[in-house]
Amino acid sequence: LGCLRSTFCGSRASGVLYVFTLSEIVSQLAYLFANMNCVIERNSVKGPLGKAIHALSRIGNELWLDPMVKGLALRSVNSAHSAYGCFLFSPMFFKHYSLESGSKQGSKAIKCKLVMKSVLPLFRCLTSIERSVERCHMSVSTATDRVIIQFFCRHGIIKTHNIHFQESEALQAVFDSHLCANVLKAPARLLADMVVHFPLFQEEITLSITPMKVTLRNYQQGGKGPMKTMYTEMSLHPNEFDYFQIGLDSDITFCLKELRGILSFAESRSLPVSVYLDAAGKPVCFSVEDMVLEATVLLATVTDSDSRDHSQPTESLTPKISRCISSPAQPVAMSQGPGSRSYTVPDELIASSQGSPVISCPGAMRLPQTREQTCLSVDSQECTSSTSSPASTKVCSLLFNALSSQQDQDGCAAQLPVLACYSDEENADDNPRSPS
Amino acid sequence: MKFRGKITDIACLNHFTTFSRILKSAVCLNEADPLCSGVVTTISKLTKTCVLRLTPDHLFFILPGKVTNGGVGMWCQLLQANFFQEYQMEGVTSEVQEICLEVSPEPWSRALKTVQSAKSVKLKLTRKHCACLTVAAELPTLSSVGRVVTHDVPVDVIPRRLWQEFQEVGVPDFDVSVYLPPLKTMKSVVDRMKNLSNFLVMEANLNGDMNLKIQTDLVSVTTHFKDLGNPAGGDVSSQDGGPSQSRDPEVMAEVTVDIRKLQQFLMGQQVNPSKALCNIVHQNVVHLVLLHEDVSLQYFIPAVA
Repeated sequence: LGCLRSTFCGSRASGVLYVFTLSEIVSQLAYLFANMNCVIERNSVKGPLGKAIHALSRIGNELWLDPMVKGLALRSVNSAHSAYGCFLFSPMFFKHYSLESGSKQGSKAIKCKLVMKSVLPLFRCLTSIERSVERCHMSVSTATDRVIIQFFCRHGIIKTHNIHFQESEALQAVFDSHLCANVLKAPARLLADMVVHFPLFQEEITLSITPMKVTLRNYQQGGKGPMKTMYTEMSLHPNEFDYFQIGLDSDITFCLKELRGILSFAESRSLPVSVYLDAAGKPVCFSVEDMVLEATVLLATVTDSDSRDHSQPTESLTPKISRCISSPAQPVAMSQGPGSRSYTVPDELIASSQGSPVISCPGAMRLPQTREQTCLSVDSQECTSSTSSPASTKVCSLLFNALSSQQDQDGCAAQLPVLACYSDEENADDNPRSPS
Repeated sequence: MKFRGKITDIACLNHFTTFSRILKSAVCLNEADPLCSGVVTTISKLTKTCVLRLTPDHLFFILPGKVTNGGVGMWCQLLQANFFQEYQMEGVTSEVQEICLEVSPEPWSRALKTVQSAKSVKLKLTRKHCACLTVAAELPTLSSVGRVVTHDVPVDVIPRRLWQEFQEVGVPDFDVSVYLPPLKTMKSVVDRMKNLSNFLVMEANLNGDMNLKIQTDLVSVTTHFKDLGNPAGGDVSSQDGGPSQSRDPEVMAEVTVDIRKLQQFLMGQQVNPSKALCNIVHQNVVHLVLLHEDVSLQYFIPAVA
């Protein structure tokens, strides 16, 4: 085994070749070196896991696997950074769940970024999975840069899939739902019944909330004159919700397509959905949880002053950002170096982010490979004092990058044609807000 | 020009739902529509416009048999009194008590889909960003307050000079008229035949026999239906009331049609009609007539050139 190991390591450079010829051995080795190992029982494969992957596939093209002590997180973000989804499965969900021995909080549990196109087909046909798969075994092998997903099927058939991953920093959006003025909770059925009236191609919808009612209507882009579109509106009375808290009348517009995934997930599990929303421009959070999992989708909302344009590739929008920057806007680096991605941390770390390394955004965005595990105050100062830091980064990493809401409403927001939102960056205690 | 109608009776709503399902299949558009999978991509391109015609007594839903619709025409007629608890309209002028609207099938069928689960529906002609037919459906909820869904379906008012296209089509001078076999049976036959050929021959005679035939280089398949019965006055001569030149009851009148159009027609028929018959004009057109309780539906499938 020892010599095999060295041969194996030595031949890493040859890439694909050794995988084909040694695939059997490789998976055995990979198992030994596996950084994370978990086993999922049949019903859980089809149900929550399969559906979670389906829901995330509606959000982004890449899937982040983040094995942590407190569970396995599956995450995705869309290319415009206007939608983020996270499904966290607690260790209780798995029949067996283990991280690399010696792995403790803060140690290097590997974070993998997979291409969604490689993973989704494995779970595409949930009914056939239900029929034939008895067990699913997932492991991450750092030695081979592969995530190994094995389906143990009936009749002794084992299907092994080795999926290449890129090592990556954690994709982490931290959103403090406690800061939201409005909170709704409704059975999944209710929300599903609301969205069913809108066509599948409907991109954005507007949710309006007042103490009297909650209204959903399709969002029409202005200036679409000659094209006659059907306008649909529906309203719900507050007492249809399990929980209805309103602090602020607001109208938020967000992308419906990305929401459908989690709604379908919630419906399949018959779980209630909690909605956290605030003023236009701030992200809206949809979350679902039960004893073994927690799912969250964060969607950017259109800012008040911007009711015209919609999500476009953020790169193209950067030149339009004016107020917040003193230097020419640089296009957002979508990926710095080999798949590292960095995000800032807003003021408060909520429980779910424990264990994931947190990176400061602007610094990293400007300087490739810079990864700072810094404490909050330093981060914030980085952000606010860096007037030269491209506001584009602030715009684009909208969920992950923090700008104070004060700033947004003053001026930045007015300039931003992107479907953007900001979460509060600083606690008033940590840092005084400074206009950039 | 004004129109408002309201349906509050559950039984009427159910009938309306039946009607809307028939329409949906006839227009057969939305790719996500479970009724239409498979036939969609071909047929959906054929159906671009639908016409809604309102008179004091009737509601007509018409697919004009133009080239854009592949020559297929559909005519659906409802007696408004059987559906609406309230029905008020004012035509384009005080003499002409009629309104003709052109509506795009897809949004219209989506609005109708909402109606299917409603407990009451209001329809009215409004002007929002453009002329619209507003469908306001009240949906049942567990709480005391209903849920209202409003769809504003954009419509175009059709000018009077174009109205003659949408006037009532008389029954054509047909050669044979025969009752149809159970539509489900026909559908399963046609579905399988569609896999083999694009064209199907429908023929029937005055003896109550009907055949559906396809022919390819390799295979020919014929399905025979017997003892279907012919409606009284089942041929042209007796219609005229003149001296009957009796048609030989054994002689078949036939039409070669595009099989997909026949399939489209059959797909929508989920409820068994109280009467279903077929008039055939030899080598010309197939005229299918379905009578449900309150709805009469006529479908014209032209012969393939």
